[in-house]
Amino acid sequence: MACAAVLIAVIAGAPFLLNEGILRLATECLLLLTMAQMWNLLAGYAGLVSLGHQVFIAFGAYALFLTSGWLEVTPIWVLPVAPLVAAAVAAIIAFPLFRLRDAYFSIAMWVFAEIIGAFTMKSQAVGGTSGVPLATSKLIDFDWFEPTMFWLAGGLTLITIAALYKMMTSSFGLGLMSVRDNDLAAMSVGVDVRHNRFIAFVLSAAGCGLAGALSFMGNLFIAPLAAFDVNWSVYMMFIVIIGGIGTLEGPILGVIIFFGLRELMTGPLGLSGGWYLVGLGIIAVVVMIVAPRGIWPVLRDRLGVRLLDVHRAAPRPAAATMLPGASERVTG
Amino acid sequence: MIWVETLINGALLGGLYGLLGIGLALVFGVMRVVNIAHGEFMVLSAFCAVLLSNLFPQVSPLLMLIPVIALSFAVGWLYQAAIVNRVVTSPDPLSPLLLTFGVSVILRNVMVEIFGADVRSLQVGELSRASLEIAGLNIGIMPLLTLVLAALLFMALQLVLRHTEFGRIVRATADRRDIVRLSGVKPDRVYNYVMGLSLALGAIGGVLLAVRSSFTPFSGAERLLIAFEVVVLGGLGSFWGALLGGIALGMAQLIGLKIDPNAGLLYAHLLFFIMLLIRPSGLVSSRV
Amino acid sequence: MALLDVNGLQIFYGDLQAVFDMNFTVADGEAVALVGANGAGKSTFLKALVGLNEERHGAVHFDGVDISQMPAEEVSRLGLIMVPEGRLLFDSLTIEENLLMGSVNRRKGSWTLRRVFDLFPILEERRRMFPGQLSGGQQQMAAIGRALMSNPRLLLCDEISLGLAPVVVEQIYRSFADIRREGTAVVLVEQDVKRALATSERIYCLLKGRVSLTGPAQGLQPEQLTHAYFGN
Repeated sequence: MACAAVLIAVIAGAPFLLNEGILRLATECLLLLTMAQMWNLLAGYAGLVSLGHQVFIAFGAYALFLTSGWLEVTPIWVLPVAPLVAAAVAAIIAFPLFRLRDAYFSIAMWVFAEIIGAFTMKSQAVGGTSGVPLATSKLIDFDWFEPTMFWLAGGLTLITIAALYKMMTSSFGLGLMSVRDNDLAAMSVGVDVRHNRFIAFVLSAAGCGLAGALSFMGNLFIAPLAAFDVNWSVYMMFIVIIGGIGTLEGPILGVIIFFGLRELMTGPLGLSGGWYLVGLGIIAVVVMIVAPRGIWPVLRDRLGVRLLDVHRAAPRPAAATMLPGASERVTG
Repeated sequence: MIWVETLINGALLGGLYGLLGIGLALVFGVMRVVNIAHGEFMVLSAFCAVLLSNLFPQVSPLLMLIPVIALSFAVGWLYQAAIVNRVVTSPDPLSPLLLTFGVSVILRNVMVEIFGADVRSLQVGELSRASLEIAGLNIGIMPLLTLVLAALLFMALQLVLRHTEFGRIVRATADRRDIVRLSGVKPDRVYNYVMGLSLALGAIGGVLLAVRSSFTPFSGAERLLIAFEVVVLGGLGSFWGALLGGIALGMAQLIGLKIDPNAGLLYAHLLFFIMLLIRPSGLVSSRV
Repeated sequence: MALLDVNGLQIFYGDLQAVFDMNFTVADGEAVALVGANGAGKSTFLKALVGLNEERHGAVHFDGVDISQMPAEEVSRLGLIMVPEGRLLFDSLTIEENLLMGSVNRRKGSWTLRRVFDLFPILEERRRMFPGQLSGGQQQMAAIGRALMSNPRLLLCDEISLGLAPVVVEQIYRSFADIRREGTAVVLVEQDVKRALATSERIYCLLKGRVSLTGPAQGLQPEQLTHAYFGN
């Protein structure tokens, strides 16, 4: 509790202390952290790797831009549209995609993102290849724009992490984690695998939609090449993989490494963005080979620290006792 | 008549797409790994061919296929031995997927930094423009040769896998990785050969595609998606299925381009997605 | 000197220890039965011998060669061959191809495709079929045939009568006379204790991962065996 209060105070006060450049960077960090947490919810907890999550970012962002333009209201007031649209899309495409497993799901997601991206580029109603500026940007109070963006991003991040923590300690979260660990075992103790996966997928899409909308709102401009860029998935994946898949702290550590390396390589070392991605990729590949669960679990065990550790007991026998109503089916 | 020609050209393109898919299908069939970096390796082989033909302008670029194939085989072997074998037996089926995806990002950006993001293509001179006139239809020689080559390669691969000791060992390893060890076979070693073979086949597809259309370091994703769609449409694991899948995609793409010249791969992707909706069974598992 | 000499072998299965301080020998050409209740550690022991279970400590010598840490693919080349429990044939290979897999890295010896077909004529008839099209007994014959194709000096048979009709089991056991005529030593892991005793010269009984009884197979007191098999 005290910890949360301190964090809220820090986020509330930061805009008064930091200069605009650093504030923008911090906003970017927080939004990418939220996206990574959402990707992690799907990959780390539900066992579904999406290589097409950029489609939800794009849906959220375009929904915000278009609705704000039609209604002629400040984009902040129509922000709720972004997660709703992304969630609705996810709920619909879940039907064909959930028939596929593992890599098939991953690549089919990617193909879906490519298709939507291609249609977006063709549709003049949404600006085609050249994209659209935020029509209502004149309604924005630019004195407070950067601080507001930061507060929104900070608030979103805190709420996301708190909600995920709450979720993972609930019976839903435990059911989800047992799905990741073992489909059959989870099903045999009465976890509705498909249902849990579906909810994780929709929530993950909604979160990415909102974070994506905020991200492009900060740019005041959106174009399909940026919105449907597969690099969104690359970033989310690298952050999660390096930090620690299936943990809440992992993506936080991952984001620190992601931006730390970026600032170091493209700043003092003067390297291009391409080499930065190469460096990040090499770190990710090495981590995957040396510590497949990511850096955080290794640090946690070495140092013995517990931050947001979701109590995770062994999935097999423990799952049965933790899920109310499940054990009867086994014994009965 | 123009539509018939489009369909025929689509089928010819399909032979090439089948080649893109076959390497992916081979690796998946034997080690249950979808090598996400397959597309990037194809682009890399195309860059090698361009580089070589710049070095030796008097030699036909198509002859460059030979060293590029050999090089790709070696690269595939090393890639498998140094990286993929470390996660191939991981209890988590997502590990190879994430790892090969990471490798694809590295390769793509290394190519951007080394070769630049410019559009390239492989010039074969007269051959790329030569065509046959059959019953009023205009058929390109190069696409025709490509389809014939694809069919020959498919047959050769089939023969090797069905009728040689190497093929027997590969199929046995695909069936039961542990039990082949009781016959003195090292499964990791078999995987090395298979990945080498996969990238060699990918190199043929990659170089021939570079003759047909231009490419950039970012083309790998496109090629991977095509390869993947070919494999899934073809019913996974069946080589002739992959050729048919390739032909279906090639036709869809060219028909799409007739309707809308800017469509790119959209119609191929759509065909794939619609097939997912109406024929999902048989999409999930099968073997070489 | 014994063909196989196991001294103080400890085998682990994840965090659990499955076999404790095992001593075990097989002489050239000998037939040895290894019996014990379910979960006594028999299969784990055989897997560890051929190198399929890597978590093992202790001395294992085969024909004087230290194989205690040798990977499976090298052990098999020495002529120590296992017929795995459940047959585990290669499903996408024909029966003939399955047999040929045994000869990939074979030792020199007299077993050939021809001789395996003579031993189990039904396999020749079904040579072009896939394992899934064969009965359990025929599959078991193919699994034994595959092992013979590598010309084993010591054949480890894991539960070869499991789930088969008595007539078929009889036929398979009759083939052991032919197999042993070549001087091949055999270790039989069996649930069917009576049959194991009838076919072998010596017996080992495992109880909860430890040897509870060892001695000649003939002239064993029933109550002695019951005690060793079930404990208490």
